[in-house]
Amino acid sequence: MRLARGRVGPNLNWQLIVPIISGTLLAVGLGMLVCAAQALVGGDGATMAFAGPAAVVIPLAAVGVASARRLPSMPLRARDGFLAVTLAWLAAAVVGGVPFLLHGTFERPLDALFESMSGFTTTGATLIRVIEGEPDAILLWRSLSQWIGGVGIVVLVVAIAPATGLATQRVFYAETSGVTAERLTPRIAETAKIIWGLYLVVTTTAVLAFLLVGMGLFDAVNHGFTTVATGGFSTRTASLAAFNSIGVEIVALVFMVISGVNFAFYWRALRGNGIWPQAAEVRAYVLILLGGTAVVTASLVVSEEPGSFAQTLHDAGFTVTSIITSGGFITTDFDQWNDFARGFLLLLMFVGGCAGSTAGGLKVIRVLLLAKSAGQEVQRQLRPKAVQVLRTRGRIYTEELRRGVLGFFAIYMTVTAVGTMAMLATGLDMISAFSSVAATLNVVGLGLGEIGATDNFEAISGPGRAILTVTMLAGRLEVFTVLVLLTPAFWRPNVA
Amino acid sequence: MHHTAPVRVIIIGLGEVGRHVARTLSAEHHDVTIIDADPKRVEAAQGELDALVMTGNGASPKVLRELGAGKADLLCAVTQSDEVNVIAALAANQLGAGQTVARVRDSEYFGDDDAFARDAMGIDFVVNPERATADDLAESILVPGAVHVEHFVDGVVSVAEVILTNRSPLLGKSIGERRIVRPSFVFGLIRDGRAVAAEPGHRPKVGDHLLVASAREDIAPVVAHLAGYAQRVRDLVIFGGGRVGLPLAKRLEREKGLHVTLMERDGDRAREVAEQLTRTTVLHEEGVSKEVLLAHGVDRAGAFVACAGDDRANLLAALHARQLGAGLSLAVVSREEFTPLVDALGIDAAFSPRLVTAEAILRAVRGPNVHGMYLLSGGAEVVEVQTAMGCRGAGQTVEDANANAATHIAAIVRGGRVIVPRGSERLAGGDRLVVFNTRSGAAGLRKVFSAAA
Repeated sequence: MRLARGRVGPNLNWQLIVPIISGTLLAVGLGMLVCAAQALVGGDGATMAFAGPAAVVIPLAAVGVASARRLPSMPLRARDGFLAVTLAWLAAAVVGGVPFLLHGTFERPLDALFESMSGFTTTGATLIRVIEGEPDAILLWRSLSQWIGGVGIVVLVVAIAPATGLATQRVFYAETSGVTAERLTPRIAETAKIIWGLYLVVTTTAVLAFLLVGMGLFDAVNHGFTTVATGGFSTRTASLAAFNSIGVEIVALVFMVISGVNFAFYWRALRGNGIWPQAAEVRAYVLILLGGTAVVTASLVVSEEPGSFAQTLHDAGFTVTSIITSGGFITTDFDQWNDFARGFLLLLMFVGGCAGSTAGGLKVIRVLLLAKSAGQEVQRQLRPKAVQVLRTRGRIYTEELRRGVLGFFAIYMTVTAVGTMAMLATGLDMISAFSSVAATLNVVGLGLGEIGATDNFEAISGPGRAILTVTMLAGRLEVFTVLVLLTPAFWRPNVA
Repeated sequence: MHHTAPVRVIIIGLGEVGRHVARTLSAEHHDVTIIDADPKRVEAAQGELDALVMTGNGASPKVLRELGAGKADLLCAVTQSDEVNVIAALAANQLGAGQTVARVRDSEYFGDDDAFARDAMGIDFVVNPERATADDLAESILVPGAVHVEHFVDGVVSVAEVILTNRSPLLGKSIGERRIVRPSFVFGLIRDGRAVAAEPGHRPKVGDHLLVASAREDIAPVVAHLAGYAQRVRDLVIFGGGRVGLPLAKRLEREKGLHVTLMERDGDRAREVAEQLTRTTVLHEEGVSKEVLLAHGVDRAGAFVACAGDDRANLLAALHARQLGAGLSLAVVSREEFTPLVDALGIDAAFSPRLVTAEAILRAVRGPNVHGMYLLSGGAEVVEVQTAMGCRGAGQTVEDANANAATHIAAIVRGGRVIVPRGSERLAGGDRLVVFNTRSGAAGLRKVFSAAA
């Protein structure tokens, strides 16, 4: 057709992008409705802050979702997938920030966006100084946003609205990258349902466990949401330390460890077949948790940290788990620890949990493959003709995947470096700047220095908050999805 | 004189294996019908074989019925196509053929699971020539000093072929004078490609191959003593990651203290092979020049195996390896016309997938009293026979039995124990014998060791 000539901009498939964004917003709207109900029951005056936006978003989103059914099933290209997912997350964060503004938690829209983005991306960085000062509905909204973002908003959309058919694959893969995405069933929507089903089961169990160790119902539900999502938002300013209960800390520890593993692994284990492809990663994950705890404990013992050995071991174990799984809860002010321990924790932030879990970071499997690739590269100097196969037990990785992992690492490091320089430019000191990027890109939410364990992110300036909002989103979507949108090629027409 | 009734054999496929089996069986006066889809091959074979040679699709039930597959005692499907072979064997089995043998090269079909082929599909033997060759190669690498090792009588007796080097303590002595470390019997000698029975007075020379039998647990020290060195192979270089190279590497990379390096010329195949091997160093190497082999440490390797797809390349590579100083230089040589080159080039031993296949197929036709067999390049063979109760051989001394059957008894197994066959030893019914035949043919054996009809 002649019409196509002379067009500028990419030939995007809005007919499928719109329903996906709508589906996401529908989920956000329904979440707000829950919070509105909570506010109504609690009588804390935040009802309209939630009911208002929900009343606008839900009908609009419903129309958008419904529009999908009437359209012919067109193929969604990779580009549409990237854009759909990024826009879906952005939309969720923007809409999710509105209640904070309406209620008056924040005055600046950027702060509301930061808090909301920190929620959906399960980072757990907050700008609220006194959390206990906020109404329950706001606290529930923070927890709920983390829970919705936990295993992925788009996975949720695919699970509940599979109408988009073939197109959903692209979206699914854009949200979870190369080494992560996998099918458990022939139909992607079934896979999404299984993952969300397991997520629901684990969350319910976590809530019950918190109740069992003596938490109140409201605290248990909130912490259940944020623990399984490995988000880190708490209902208390002092985080889990406020409960001063070893039982609570152990429940949080156990569920953080559980959630740092891909839920698909549990499905396979339950079905009793084919867990080997993931077993290598899970094994490495457990070893890193144990090894990390041992190293930090040893360092604390050597530097004669006060407290009994059992206390030190517990603090080290909890902090290491919280950092690796990007859980972001704290029981002790680790910013007071010696520099070795602090540096080591920074390193662990980049490792993260297992691919496809709610955790952030590079992901254990990538770290494993990077280490193997590095070893093979050394070997290759000795035997240039040797054919090297990247493998873990039960799985062989193609050379394309190897390239993908190496490229991912390069980009991850570049983003870290550029982000750190940008944060330094906003006037932060070296440690705070680097750790703020590490904390947000790896969606941990805990930093060092001015944004240390017991501090919030108020020390960050306005432009800094904007930068970190972007790194949070980039970290959650594993960089590539967001980064391709910034390339000129993406916006050129007729690029498949 | 009684002769066992001729066996009716149908062979499908006129490849090298088909021709070899047909030739061997028709020489033993069996009724052989051989069928191939290619008229040119059929025409070429008609003058060459004493058998009924026909054109047709051997996998077609109609053709099989016309050939009388229902009355055949044995059907061997040995075409180039695995699928055709399997279908032919299945069809023949349905029509009521006695035994069915199928050559299946792709291990995807049955792998190591022969039981499935036999029980679920009714194929009596699945022969994988390359895998069997790889097994043979592995044996000769694991028993240092021997170029072939074969096990008989349920694995109780081992027969090894040993090449004499100038290290051997046997040089300058006669076979009768050798110091015996473990109960063992040197029964045969191959010189210049010709196999003869070993006499106590023989004085072996460098380059001779000795055939020795002993109990299985003794074979490694016996061979080490004859060959004059007991060095285990620690480094193995395999040239060619094909259907022989891959199973060989798979089998040997599991051995402790043995490092396997595999060279493959094709890049894609090299990767495919590397993906299936975990401890082997796989190299993508296009050349087989001396420099290349030297670069990969062939000079220090305990053993070198050339098993690429091409006989010439194999011979050349094995020759290079020999000259560079590899401990043991082995080659897979498929075509018979190259076999004489093996000795001339000083290559330690050649392995032929064709011979291995023929061996397996012929085992099926030898009948219940003849078990294992082992074909040597010169046409001689080592077979396993059971002395039937009341046969002519029972009660005779080893010396007499040897004279009557024109064979040489290499080992006797009685009640699970291995007995060295001295001339005066008397045979009993039920003994299981390992017998050396300098020329192929089982007629003499049947005459002496089968129960009188």
